[in-house]
Amino acid sequence: MAQYERYIRPKVAFFDFTSCEGCQLTVLDSLQTSPELLDMIEIVEFREAMSERSNEYQIAFVEGSCTRPADEERLKTIRSTASLVIALGACAHLGGINAIKNLRPLPEVRADVYGDKADWYDTYAARPISAVIDIDGFIPGCPIDRDEFIRVVKMLLQGRQPIIPDHPLCIECKLKENVCLYLRGKICLGPIVRAGCGAICPTYGDGCEGCRGLITNPNLDSMKMVLEEHGLSFEEVEQKLSMFMAYQTAGIKSEAEGATS
Amino acid sequence: MSYKIMPKSALNDWVQHLRQKFTIVAPKPKHGQFVFGEVTDASEFALDYPSTVLPPKKYLVPTQEELLSYSLDGSHFEMRTEPVPTVVLGVHTCDLHGIKLLDRIFSQGYTDTHYKTRRNSLYLVSYECFEPCTEHSFCRSMGTLSATDTFDLHIINLGEDFAFEIGTQKGESLLEGFQSIFNVTEVDIERINTVHQEKWQRFPYRLDFDVTELAELLTNSYTSTYWDELGDICLGCGMCTQVCPTCYCFDIHDEVDLTLDGGHRVRTWDSCQIRMFATVAGGHNFRAEQAARQRHRFMRKGKYQEDAYGLVGCTGCGRCAQACLVDITPVKTFNELYKRRNNIAEKETEAK
Amino acid sequence: MKTLTEVVTKSPSIYQPVPARIVSIEELTETEKLFTVALPGGLSLHHSPGQFLQISVLGIGEAPISISSSPSRSYGTFELCVRRVGDLTTALHNLKRGDIIGVRGPFGRGFPVGRLRGKDLIFVAGGLGLAPLRSLIYEVLDQRGNYGQLSVLYGSRCPSDLLFKDELAEWEKRDDMTLSITVDHPDETWFGEVGLVLNLFDDIYPNPRNAVAVVVGPPVMYPSVIERLLSLQIPEGSIWLSFERRMKCGVGRCGHCQLNHIYTCREGPSFSYSEIKDLEEAL
Repeated sequence: MAQYERYIRPKVAFFDFTSCEGCQLTVLDSLQTSPELLDMIEIVEFREAMSERSNEYQIAFVEGSCTRPADEERLKTIRSTASLVIALGACAHLGGINAIKNLRPLPEVRADVYGDKADWYDTYAARPISAVIDIDGFIPGCPIDRDEFIRVVKMLLQGRQPIIPDHPLCIECKLKENVCLYLRGKICLGPIVRAGCGAICPTYGDGCEGCRGLITNPNLDSMKMVLEEHGLSFEEVEQKLSMFMAYQTAGIKSEAEGATS
Repeated sequence: MSYKIMPKSALNDWVQHLRQKFTIVAPKPKHGQFVFGEVTDASEFALDYPSTVLPPKKYLVPTQEELLSYSLDGSHFEMRTEPVPTVVLGVHTCDLHGIKLLDRIFSQGYTDTHYKTRRNSLYLVSYECFEPCTEHSFCRSMGTLSATDTFDLHIINLGEDFAFEIGTQKGESLLEGFQSIFNVTEVDIERINTVHQEKWQRFPYRLDFDVTELAELLTNSYTSTYWDELGDICLGCGMCTQVCPTCYCFDIHDEVDLTLDGGHRVRTWDSCQIRMFATVAGGHNFRAEQAARQRHRFMRKGKYQEDAYGLVGCTGCGRCAQACLVDITPVKTFNELYKRRNNIAEKETEAK
Repeated sequence: MKTLTEVVTKSPSIYQPVPARIVSIEELTETEKLFTVALPGGLSLHHSPGQFLQISVLGIGEAPISISSSPSRSYGTFELCVRRVGDLTTALHNLKRGDIIGVRGPFGRGFPVGRLRGKDLIFVAGGLGLAPLRSLIYEVLDQRGNYGQLSVLYGSRCPSDLLFKDELAEWEKRDDMTLSITVDHPDETWFGEVGLVLNLFDDIYPNPRNAVAVVVGPPVMYPSVIERLLSLQIPEGSIWLSFERRMKCGVGRCGHCQLNHIYTCREGPSFSYSEIKDLEEAL
């Protein structure tokens, strides 16, 4: 168990890499609903919300995955400046949606996206920031859960390592007394995905897509069997498991094929 | 046994009568199933319902419950369990059995005042089942198909009328001051007897043996390889324990205020099926395999709870069977263990 | 004098801790600290060796911690030897003298002090296992005439991990007990035994008819130590163990500490080997 310093109004910075910035929007949202947060932390850099910047901060929240060699340098600078680096959201935590591209040869992906200008871009396989730097914690989700963000900030202020649930979503979904989506003829990754979002998708009738990542030791074989029993083809099962979790479930295929530039 | 009669047409009036003093919860439809929830009118709920997603235990041990609030300097503690008097309408007899067991669990040894306070303000109005509620239920095998006690009022559907069996003074008080309540006649008693008599044949036994053999069967099956087979397919999702009327294991955690000067101690439902349940801070997991976790669950349901509290831990409600995505069910498990034990016994006899 | 248990059981909620003040903190090793804690208003702890308390750091949470001090040396305070290993213990380690912690208990069944009377005692400690055993050691030393021979066997990972070093030195000097220590990984300062705690058994010759063993250590230590004790003809009922489990309530309800049908917090944490030998989840 890591021992963290306790903080009194620490300087906090937000950084973004390859992402939609939705997690930072959720942070902004939480600042609006809980403005007293600003009494507890001092935000010194947050491109979404302010123009000031700073090279001095204790806690860095990083949104987005690392998708270019140049990202690595920037991440290392953040790491060397901050006492604590927290991955913010699925892209930083898991590689996220960006990592879908890892399933195909990179030149092909680049050509699809950038056409004849593909050579101008040095994008490489997407990876979570933890593949590049050590991190002190993560807040999962696409986007992050507002309440969980506040909970993590409180734990960091207390000098604690953030505690993120590592049990399946089904637990939380049942606490909400949702009718299981499988009983409603739908598909859901709840049994193998990390809880903590309040089962928001199943509550509104959509199956879990796995944005918070796999629990430790998921029974993937059994999950795949269930998905196939409920009508998904082998390919569809693989797609389901790689929407947010391509990096976790498949690694970097494109690099394995020697397709990096 | 004392009965009262109320015409069915008076149900909503009775609900309105109760609402003057109580919050009323009853089975409400939700996405093709039912959940216990607050109702304000008889049109919002059904008494003839299959089963509910969660059993009524949620009114005794809420899914999440604040046990205490306090100041971080320890100068101030406050317990804030102030339950609203609540009438639960339409409790199935299997769930009554579950509550009876919970009552014993939470009162033995150090009394759980949070449970006790909620329990005292809860009025249980149960409802006689005349048909198996789902394809998964096996209440007859578990001996939970009858309301013998624990209820305050028990409703028996007589067609045009409801008969109320009065279980307690609390139950009697629910009928006080309501006009459409009548004394039973001999004809009513006859009708009550008839509907009871006729119901049993509609409920099949689903265990291949008598429930009194269950604890011993489990004891003898402790080292069965069947647990490994369950462990291989079990997703470890924990739905089985969440929906179980006699699962009550809980976690307690603290939440600190944003200003870091006050906090709350919160109790939430936990599940022995999840990996971290028996893991200590140093990382050692005392029940590391899913097979051992499933075995633990079934041992509790079929043996441990009965040994400790005198009531079988499985009520036959069928909720866990319906919830399980890989079809791990008590009926299949118990019958399979029974079959395997008999096969072993037969082989041993042959060998002799 | 009122006991803590009376206060806890009479409070509105069994989950409500009693605030208690840390009066001193001693750093025993890099990861272990000894906290001396005073209960408020002259309350007494009234524990027996081997029992545990549910300790809260308010705003963080609660965890079971065994009591390290002996009832014979309470003086209105008690001691907790805490290894920094999880969220709660890390928070405890961050506290200072004068800070308030929450206390509930004492809970569980401690060591069978009554049954030890007149017996030759073999105490076997592995690592942090010395913490609860220390409570029992002083209970014995302070009423020395009530017990037979006392042998303490203590195994530690490395010399710097040894707990209560000053007290070990004192115990070593005493002629009414023997103390043997071994470490897995010696350093240049270490001239003593090296290897498993099992090696220390070579020097003791207990009379099996009059010996009782009390063993506290990590799970990995138990099977081999029990095997050795049985080979010395110590009866199963005279081998006592203490188990660590996750505990949230302390009163036999939350389920986390259950081993087979037994709630460790209520029926234990100390058990005789004969009580638990057939329970797969015990060892």
